[in-house]
Amino acid sequence: MKDLFRYVPGRSVIHRMNPVTKLLLTVVICVAAFITGNIFVLLGLLAADLAIGFIAGVPGKTLNILKGLMKIAIFLFVLQTLLYRDGTPLFWIITDKGLLTAATVVLRLVVVCMPLTLVLAVTRVSDLANALVQVLHVPYKYAFTVTTAIRFIPQFLEEMSDIMEAQTARGVAFDKARGLRKLGMILPLCAPLLITSVRRTELTAVAVEVRGFALRTPASGYRRYPFGLIDAAAMIVCAGMIVAAVMIR
Amino acid sequence: MIDIQSLSFTYKDEEHPALRDVTLTVPDGGFLGIIGPAGAGKTTLVRAVSGVIPHHYRGDFYGSVSVDGMDTVDTPLTDLSRAVGMVFQDVDSQIVSTEVEDEILYGLENFGVPHSEIPERLDFALERVGIADLRGRSIASLSGGQRQKVAIASVIALRPKILVLDEPTGELDPVSSRQVFSLLSSLRKDFGITVIVVEQKIMLLCEFADRLAVMDQGAVVRQGATRDVLAGADELEALGVNCPRVTTLSQLLSKRLGRSMPVCVNLDEAETMARGLMA
Amino acid sequence: MIELEKVSFSYAAQGPTVSDLSFQIEQGEFVAILGANGAGKTTTVKLIDGLIRPTSGRVMIHGSDTAKTPVSQRARQVGFLFQNPDRQICKNTVREEILFGLSAVRGDEPEERRTARAEEVLADFGFTGDEEPFALSRGQRQRVALASILAVEPEVLILDEPTTGLDYRECCHIMDRIRRMNRERKVTVVMVCHDMEVVLDYADRALVMACGRLLGDGPVREIFRDRMLMETASILPPQMIGLAQRLGLDGGDTPEAMADVLAARAKGGEEQ
Repeated sequence: MKDLFRYVPGRSVIHRMNPVTKLLLTVVICVAAFITGNIFVLLGLLAADLAIGFIAGVPGKTLNILKGLMKIAIFLFVLQTLLYRDGTPLFWIITDKGLLTAATVVLRLVVVCMPLTLVLAVTRVSDLANALVQVLHVPYKYAFTVTTAIRFIPQFLEEMSDIMEAQTARGVAFDKARGLRKLGMILPLCAPLLITSVRRTELTAVAVEVRGFALRTPASGYRRYPFGLIDAAAMIVCAGMIVAAVMIR
Repeated sequence: MIDIQSLSFTYKDEEHPALRDVTLTVPDGGFLGIIGPAGAGKTTLVRAVSGVIPHHYRGDFYGSVSVDGMDTVDTPLTDLSRAVGMVFQDVDSQIVSTEVEDEILYGLENFGVPHSEIPERLDFALERVGIADLRGRSIASLSGGQRQKVAIASVIALRPKILVLDEPTGELDPVSSRQVFSLLSSLRKDFGITVIVVEQKIMLLCEFADRLAVMDQGAVVRQGATRDVLAGADELEALGVNCPRVTTLSQLLSKRLGRSMPVCVNLDEAETMARGLMA
Repeated sequence: MIELEKVSFSYAAQGPTVSDLSFQIEQGEFVAILGANGAGKTTTVKLIDGLIRPTSGRVMIHGSDTAKTPVSQRARQVGFLFQNPDRQICKNTVREEILFGLSAVRGDEPEERRTARAEEVLADFGFTGDEEPFALSRGQRQRVALASILAVEPEVLILDEPTTGLDYRECCHIMDRIRRMNRERKVTVVMVCHDMEVVLDYADRALVMACGRLLGDGPVREIFRDRMLMETASILPPQMIGLAQRLGLDGGDTPEAMADVLAARAKGGEEQ
């Protein structure tokens, strides 16, 4: 969980791509997956997902995400095949159309869930925010809110584990409990966490104010995010995916 | 110059004033240490200097605070912030970036420092604080002390005339704490920056600050040259503020020998005094 | 008794590691662990409490291996005061906070006994019990945390920079209380502390660490007088010991003692 949002440094093609292009890539994959109903196109999109992960040099993470999604996917697949009534029965209550529809739904889910996490892993949050402000002229306030939220996640988790450590040390049996019971034990302890978080947001507001938050304009950013050959290539891939999805439904 | 005249401040929705009739001046290039027990109003005072009181924290404000010729009530906060750099007590809440370099860039970008000047400012800040090797690191991978230094670097890059720090060494070990104070001292010497530090480590203040202000219950109860303030060590002790052991030593000796000994504020002075006695 | 036998710990390339630590701490000792940031002090005390398990070697408390019992079970024996009291405090009043700690560890005892114990501790620390922890100062909150740990009457007390962020008066409050527990009840105290004056005033023995290794172990005064050791571990000795060394004197660890020595010398000089 902690590692889910952690930036993995590198110099891969994906790393060097403009953050906006990366975002476009994820959006296009999602849109394409919803336009098409063709299982082979979906498989192609899944291949694209995996390719992004492997090219970016995070194969381990890619497979981990895939593994995590598999559990939900299998559950959905079984549910779908059992509930689908149409088509020629193959055996028991399972029909050919049922299998196909279930496969499509599940595949779509997996295809859609993967790219954003992958892209976030190889893009600095600050680059993403800066590029959105500079290139797409997203208001800085929104970009800042999102980056702050993402930055808070690891901090929050770190504090959570510190609190659990402190409570274990005084005899609260976190180390023996599992699952829901553990969750039930953690929740009442979140009061201090909430208090520190609220206090911290307040302090952050002051801290950015004295560092010129109000003066920031889209032109303030020092780093530039030009579009290059890699981006052009990525856009062609994007166009290809959309065309394929529209042509082969 | 920082000129505070009869400042009283009560936070909105609070009953008791956080500052009571504070009058305090710090000349350009001065190094002021603020010390006092918890809840004495030290943080409130530095907030008033940086202008976040009354611009961010609302409340009843009486008296006046003038910073570098600007009245903090009439001047917009961003104008004040160009002159006053502030390092807060809780490092984690003031860091806005995920990367060290971005953190230092942040203020430079906002205040519109020409982009041609930025690389030089970046190098300067990183070098000066001694964290050039951390440049490419992510904030999450740093220790508390390293984060503290990044926070200081990000403010130094803005080249403020006045630097205000609220317990900057809270998370640091003695060696790193000294490094931070020597850094402040050298910035003051080289660029004439005025430094104001809230600090509990009295030994560091004695070594580096030329002025001390002791606070208690919202008021500045003693202020002046460090040595003069320490001369009233007994009073400080009663307020819950300790003084360096060398100071205690010089005062004990005055009593035992029945003649007044010089007030020692650091080890070198104590050594000179002791050698004089032993000769 | 606490025993570390060739204990090493490393955590996936981040966080301080410790290697090959071996030492023993007898019941009733007051031990300080000294060293720069990142020397492995916190890692060591966490290893002692079993909050982290050694990658190799053994940690024994009263003859039982910490790797074999859950930490929560050991809480009755070992109390741990963290640097930040807010990690620990989770109830709305000081009384509830103390009762919460008691019921986690002494849940098997009748409720009246726990309530009585809580009242005893409240009185001892000068709390009414109805205070709201989050409205108190940092130093007061640290005292609440300490009270709730001492309420369960542990045999060992571990302190990780207990005086960070406290003013001088609050620091003395906390440390005096801990010393009393140590002297009167023979509670073993293991403390990580950056303030060498506090270490000199309160601890009897010091362990010096650098880069995850144990460099020195001995009576506090002797350790502080070891110049080489202090330099390698980047520690500045307390002022009076530093002064005594510069002057080539043996005693004079406190300002009082130093004043006696110097006054005697000065008077002796005058008489000649």
